[in-house]
Amino acid sequence: MRKAKDANAIYWDLGLCVFTVLVALIVQAAPTRLLDGVNIMPTWPLIAIFLWAGLRPSFMPPIVVFAIGLTQDLLTGAPMGVWAMSYLIALAAFRFRGEDGMPRDLPPVLLRFLFMLLLAHTVAYLVGSWALGQMADLMPLIVEATATILMFPLLAFLALRRRRSGRSGFIGG
Amino acid sequence: MASRRSSRQESDESAGFSPTLFIVLLVISTVLTIFDRPADRSDAFGSFRAGFTDIVAPILELAAQPIRGVKGIGPYFRNQGDLARENAEMREELIAARGWVELAERQRDQIEIYEAALNVETPEQRPLIRAWTVADSSGPFVHARLIGSGRNVGIANGYPVVNDYGLVGRIFETGRRSARILLLTDINSRIPVMADRSNARAIMVGDNSDYPRLDYVGRIPDIVEGDRIVTSGDDGVLPRGLPIGEAVPTRDGGWRIQLFSSQAPVDFVYVWPFDRIVGPEADVAKVPDMPVENSAAEPESDPVSDSVSDSGLVADVGAETAGDASGDVPLEARPIGSGENARTDGETTTVPEDGE
Repeated sequence: MRKAKDANAIYWDLGLCVFTVLVALIVQAAPTRLLDGVNIMPTWPLIAIFLWAGLRPSFMPPIVVFAIGLTQDLLTGAPMGVWAMSYLIALAAFRFRGEDGMPRDLPPVLLRFLFMLLLAHTVAYLVGSWALGQMADLMPLIVEATATILMFPLLAFLALRRRRSGRSGFIGG
Repeated sequence: MASRRSSRQESDESAGFSPTLFIVLLVISTVLTIFDRPADRSDAFGSFRAGFTDIVAPILELAAQPIRGVKGIGPYFRNQGDLARENAEMREELIAARGWVELAERQRDQIEIYEAALNVETPEQRPLIRAWTVADSSGPFVHARLIGSGRNVGIANGYPVVNDYGLVGRIFETGRRSARILLLTDINSRIPVMADRSNARAIMVGDNSDYPRLDYVGRIPDIVEGDRIVTSGDDGVLPRGLPIGEAVPTRDGGWRIQLFSSQAPVDFVYVWPFDRIVGPEADVAKVPDMPVENSAAEPESDPVSDSVSDSGLVADVGAETAGDASGDVPLEARPIGSGENARTDGETTTVPEDGE
C-alpha cells in the first residue's frame, strides 16, 4: 500500500517537474517587454533545474539539463550550446550530491544557488562572447541575475516546505 | 582516498548524474557553439533553428495572449484627464495628417509621370504583412523578436520591419510559420542611413544599447542635434526614407540615434515585402541584343548586393556603395509618418571606406 502511494507521488512529481520546466522556458521567452517597456526576467530555467535537482536528483540527469539549455538557446536566439553548456557546468559544480538532494534549511540552499547562478552566468557570458566574436552585453545578465536572486528565496522556501511535509522526511516522501 | 572517490561516484550514479554522459554533452555543447556562431552559421543550422521556432511558435503565441490582455487593461485604469488630453492631441495630428495625405497624393502623381518618362516599371507594392511578437529575447547575446508569421504569408529574409513609429529591424531567420527580427539595437545590425535634412550618409551600428551609434560619418559630418535619420537605401536591401530616429550627440563627439520605434513596445509590427526597384540602366544592361557602350566595364555583380549576406546583414558597409540603387519608395506604401522631408532628387552619395 505504501509502495503504491510512493509510486503515485513520483508520477505526480514527474508531471509537476515537466510542467514547471516548460513554463519556465516559455516565460523566459515571453514578450514581457509589452508591459510598459519593462523587461526584468529571472533565469527561470536555472531555478527549475536547481530546485528539481535538489528535490528529485533522478529527474535532472545531464541529458535533461542539456535539453533545457538547448531549448532556451533556440527560443532566445542565442548561439546553440551556450546556455546548455553553462547549465551543465554549473549543475555539475554545485549540485547536491547523492540521492538525498538538498538539505532542509534555507540558508545553505540559498548560498549554493547563488554560487551556481554566478557560475552559470559567467560561463554563458564568456562562451556567448566568444561565439559572437565580441564582448556580449553584460547589463542584461546583471539584471537577470539580480532578479533571480530576489525571486529565488520564495520559490526555495515553497520547495523546502513541500519537502518537509513529506511523510518519511526523505526525498520522495 | 580512492574509496572515498569511488563512493562519491557511486552516489552520483545512483542520483542519475553520469560523469561520462556529462562530458559527452559538454563536448556536444562546445561543437554546437562553434558551428552555430552567428558570423558563419550554416544553412543547415539556420534551417534547424527555423524549424524549431515553427514548432514552438503556436505555443508561444498562446502564452503571449494573457500578456496582451494585461496590456489591454492598462488604459482603463488611466486618468480620464490623460485620455482627454491624448484625444485632443490625436485630433490635432489628424488635421495635420490630412495635409500630408494631399501632398503624398500629389507626389505620387509626379512620380508616376517621371516613371513613365524614364520607362521605369516599378514593381507593384505588395500589402504590408501584420504580425504579433510571440517571443522577446533581449538577453546578452541577441536583440531579436520572434513573430508568429513566416513564409506562409510571404515573409522572406531581409524584409524591413516597422511599427507605428519607425523601423524596428529586419527579418534574418525565416521559418514556415515564424520569423525572427534582428532589432536595430543588436550588435550585428548595420544599416546605411542618412540625415533627412542634409543627406549626410552614415552607417548605423547596433551595440546592444538603446541608442545605436553612427559610424562613417566623416570628420565634419553635416548632422545636427535632432536631425531626423532615415534609411538611405544604399544597401539595396532596405527602401530609402524609412524613419529611424533622431540624432543625439555624445560626449566624445560622436553621434547616436534615439529610435522612433522605441516610443512603443514592439508587440505588433508590420513586415514590408520590399522588392528592390531596378533602375532603367540595369534594365538596358540585361537586354542581350541591345548595343550598350562600355558594357564590358559593367561589373558582373552589384557590390552592394554582394555585401549583404543571406541573413540580410550588411557585411562590409564601409566599402563602395551604390548610391540610390533601391530608388525611392512610393509614398502610398508608407504606413508611418515617413518622408515628409525626404529628398527625392536622386542624388547619389557614396560612403568612402575611410569614412570621410
